[in-house]
Amino acid sequence: MITKRIYLCDDSIDGIFTAIYLAWSSRYGHSNIKIEEKSEGSKYSNIELFADYIVTDTDYTLADKVSKSIKDKISEEAYEMACGVALSDHQGKADLIYRFLILGFSVGSSITEHLSNEVVNQVFRVNKYVNNEAHHLFGFVRFSEQENGLLTSVIHPKNNVLTLITPHFADRLPQERFLIYDGNRKLATFHIPGNSWILAQVPEIDQARLDEITIKEDEYRDLWKAFFDHIAIKERINPKLQRNNLPLRFRGDMTEFQNTK
Amino acid sequence: MVIQENMSVQRKLEILSDAAKYDVACTSSGVDRKGNGTSMGNSVAGGICHTFSADGRCISLLKVLYTNECIFDCKYCANRSSNDVVRASFTPQEISELTMEFYRRNYIEGLFLSSGILVSPNHTMELILEALRLLREVHHFNGYIHCKAIPGADPALIEMLGWYTDRMSVNLELPTADSLKELAPHKSRKNILKPIRQIQLGRKSNREFLGLPDHKQPPKKIITGHDDHDMKEIITTNTGLVPYQRKPVINRSFVPAGQSTQMIIGATQESDYQIMTVAEALYDNFDLKRVFYSAFMNVNQDTRLPSTEAGPPLLREHRLYQADWLLRFYGFQTMELLDEKHPNFNVLLDPKCDWALRHLELFPVEVNKADYYTLLRVPGIGTNSAQRIIMARKSVVLDFNDLKRMGIVLKRAIYFITCSGRMMYSIHIEENFITRQLIALKDQLPIGIDKSITYQQLSLFDDVNFQSDARNMVRMANI
Repeated sequence: MITKRIYLCDDSIDGIFTAIYLAWSSRYGHSNIKIEEKSEGSKYSNIELFADYIVTDTDYTLADKVSKSIKDKISEEAYEMACGVALSDHQGKADLIYRFLILGFSVGSSITEHLSNEVVNQVFRVNKYVNNEAHHLFGFVRFSEQENGLLTSVIHPKNNVLTLITPHFADRLPQERFLIYDGNRKLATFHIPGNSWILAQVPEIDQARLDEITIKEDEYRDLWKAFFDHIAIKERINPKLQRNNLPLRFRGDMTEFQNTK
Repeated sequence: MVIQENMSVQRKLEILSDAAKYDVACTSSGVDRKGNGTSMGNSVAGGICHTFSADGRCISLLKVLYTNECIFDCKYCANRSSNDVVRASFTPQEISELTMEFYRRNYIEGLFLSSGILVSPNHTMELILEALRLLREVHHFNGYIHCKAIPGADPALIEMLGWYTDRMSVNLELPTADSLKELAPHKSRKNILKPIRQIQLGRKSNREFLGLPDHKQPPKKIITGHDDHDMKEIITTNTGLVPYQRKPVINRSFVPAGQSTQMIIGATQESDYQIMTVAEALYDNFDLKRVFYSAFMNVNQDTRLPSTEAGPPLLREHRLYQADWLLRFYGFQTMELLDEKHPNFNVLLDPKCDWALRHLELFPVEVNKADYYTLLRVPGIGTNSAQRIIMARKSVVLDFNDLKRMGIVLKRAIYFITCSGRMMYSIHIEENFITRQLIALKDQLPIGIDKSITYQQLSLFDDVNFQSDARNMVRMANI
């Protein structure tokens, strides 16, 4: 019996692509291989018996090779879908991308039409889930203005959508300096007028500083809250519908649901 | 009329958003516009919801009135001149600053400005124009603006407004001229239709000028079955066209996101059939993007109007929106859904199910062969599902498991489709049986609407209120 090989990779697009490259080039047989993220904080790790674990480190040259072949041999769309999955919090996403690519390299660009295939369907579903959250955040992100005119926002998304939403805000607010901080991943994007935005790891941020960039009192906050309260029609009050449209998990970061001290 | 001087902006905002909340439309959709790198703002065709108010409705735009002072006395309106309410007016500066600062903080997608009528329609329009001019020319605001055109204002002002806005709307208020005369004595239907026509023609000539394709098919002839004299007159005569005025300095296209309108339903006696006929005529003849339906609320506790103590007719509003969707995206026509004999929608079934049950001879439909519009007519299959089916069947012959995997909801569709010639279960295609099955599916209504129907426990001694025909219950639920 052949022992199963499990490639452990970093939780990033490049990390996953590196592992895929190594797994593929090992010629060990796709069915004998599984790719898993090095689940930090062991979200769902279940160590398998009778399997060889191979720890991989992100190698950007290898990852680039994978990206390039996906774009050349499958399609740009398939590449974007693979990235969408990589940004998600889907369990087993690395292996899903692997299975998707195996299929993609064999059928080519029409892979995105094979909706009835389980793997392709899963990829579509995960993408929809990620894009929905990104679209929600186009609306739900709230900026606070600091004394120096910097706009700051804190979000806690389920998926790693920071890089999906920042281009929208850079396009919308070209003359503003802004910062969006992902509290779940300790990542932030910065935008400075005239430059393209950058993504950076923010190791630790203390609570006081965080509060400062989350809630900065100014008169427009109060005006917005006043507007928010008065626009509801009281004969139609419907908390269930409101919760359905605007899940509670977003509200902690939204001005109109924050209490004034 | 007492106008309070020195009112704070916050107080004004409270009063004027309170006064604007009954307006339904808050969509920011219809135009895709990238940022230009220098000024603030862009726009996304699908629209973006920024938050949801306690009533569960989307807040996308800063929806306020310019003023709630009004010289008109429409019976259904909270701001009518005979009401004793606190009145307030913004200044153009206040409006433009609020919009800019809210927009920067990503509270909103843009501005939705409506207004009561201060002094005269022209005077009000000039104030609104000034607010929009400040936004577009001084603050270089590039976000979304939806503005109401005020019926009776000078066509030159309406045209000017069109160059600053993305979407314009003129409220039809009530479906027919008679009810308008009764409830809004100061408004006339012709005065409402004229600016709608003007905006339509202005958009058309601007699109031609820009070389944009005419996206609509040639207008159908006026819908039969309902002879609407006002509409006929406005469409056939091209009055109301003004020669081009001086355009504003900024370079924008004319009402790029099109126009919408809204009707109050349940305040007057019109049937659903009449309402849908009017909506259809508006879509066909005036190139409207949306018609909104607003469940009537007796805000003035006016005894001459129906009471809404039991809550506004939300279910009816919901059914109208469902039918509206069928008209716009599913290729249905009003006369297929309703007619003189069945003038109202079924309370228990959505309009599509209701239609399908009356046309069982067209079913079952073969999923692997049927074209897009045939698939769309299957209850339970919407635009997304139909598109997915068409894409997926290119590579495989679909069976029911595939459909399930693709996320197509089968609980309604199973009665109407076959995969490779077979239904999922052996089902007897018989109206009463399928009706019972469909009614038993309880998830038909959006959250919060079911409370408007008063269900009764069935009892053996049930003597009254038991109606054999489900359609008769329409009236019960619509009270």
